[in-house]
Amino acid sequence: MNLRSKVDGQPAYVLHTYPFRETSLIVEVFSRDFGRMALLARGARRPRSAIRGLLMAFQPLEIGWAGKGEVLTLMKAEWQGGQPLLAGEALFCGYYLNELLINLLPREDAHERLFASYAHMLGRLADDPAGKVREADLRSFEKALLQELGYGLTLNHDSAGLPIDPEAFYTYRMEQGPVRLEHDEAAAQVFIGQTLLDLAAEDFANPRSRHESKALMRTLMAYYLAGKELETRRIFKELQEL
Amino acid sequence: MAYHLLQRDRGGAQGLSDALAHALQTIRHCNKCNTFTEDDVCARCMSTHRDPSLLCVVETPVDMNMMEQTLSYRGLYYVLMGKISPLDGVSARSLGLDRLLARALDGVIKEVVLATNYTNEGEATAHYIAAMLRPKGVTVTRIARGVPVGGELEYVDSGTLAQALRERKTCLG
Repeated sequence: MNLRSKVDGQPAYVLHTYPFRETSLIVEVFSRDFGRMALLARGARRPRSAIRGLLMAFQPLEIGWAGKGEVLTLMKAEWQGGQPLLAGEALFCGYYLNELLINLLPREDAHERLFASYAHMLGRLADDPAGKVREADLRSFEKALLQELGYGLTLNHDSAGLPIDPEAFYTYRMEQGPVRLEHDEAAAQVFIGQTLLDLAAEDFANPRSRHESKALMRTLMAYYLAGKELETRRIFKELQEL
Repeated sequence: MAYHLLQRDRGGAQGLSDALAHALQTIRHCNKCNTFTEDDVCARCMSTHRDPSLLCVVETPVDMNMMEQTLSYRGLYYVLMGKISPLDGVSARSLGLDRLLARALDGVIKEVVLATNYTNEGEATAHYIAAMLRPKGVTVTRIARGVPVGGELEYVDSGTLAQALRERKTCLG
């Protein structure tokens, strides 16, 4: 029996929708037990469609689908509520998460922990219009994402297996982890040991750690995105240049 | 439709083709509000009966018509012809928001009313425009959302009701 062919009451979030034919939508969702999936929502673009307003990103839903083949048909969507809509900059952060998931998460691969961390993250974004916790949250989500995808970060010891010295300087090599730099050694990207330890502990109180963690995560994301530039990052930049 | 026209209504097909060709040749964007028009500036923007200090920003010409049908708005418009949608690769630059900026800073406009849709993309667009215009000293407002007029709570969807509750107002007077 194919488990995915008939599912009901599945917690999920819409990541993005694409128009399909005259009145339908292809809905890209992140579901708890089945991961990222593409579902066909028939008639969802009709003016009086019951689910038209429901298939909005960043809102907790419970959905049901059925069918065979690659694209299944969305049968039901129920709003779970309780979470304010994202607004302002938080909305752009939400788009960033979705773009990461769409680009990095393979289809139909369950990631329950990542789902929980995504749901938690959206809750934080919705509750925090002042934008105080956002940066730290984005870093821990990026970390969780890499971990779930099997690209876990090495942050507590260097490539030689020695514990990270908070005062020493390191560079980060892909698939290898932190490499300690000798006094006069240069590298494209240099991090102080404290940054790596703070990132491991998800403590972003120190401005230097915050700044360097961001740079390290950006390098890692760029590597795993294989050169694809994120649209949300471009818009973030445009927004900051205003 | 293509087969029907070719088999049974060649005159109609010619008419349709002429109309499309004519539209493609003559219809362009209004220099002021960006909607479709046959002139440089559309009749609505030329009107002297409108309040030139108010500018309403909408996503599409259809949205503009809906605003007009309210018979409650007497200001001018700016039609974006789209919305910011990061995941579809539509940024502020590709939407040409610099033209809206120039329009809003003509010295006459005092208030910009954001009437983009209450979807995530509409909200993102509204946030961007507000961030762009606020530092320039223009008042930026957003149309309200909530329970529809004549709406009974029993039949309103929970998402709308939840948002209406969050955006509740103090009763005055």
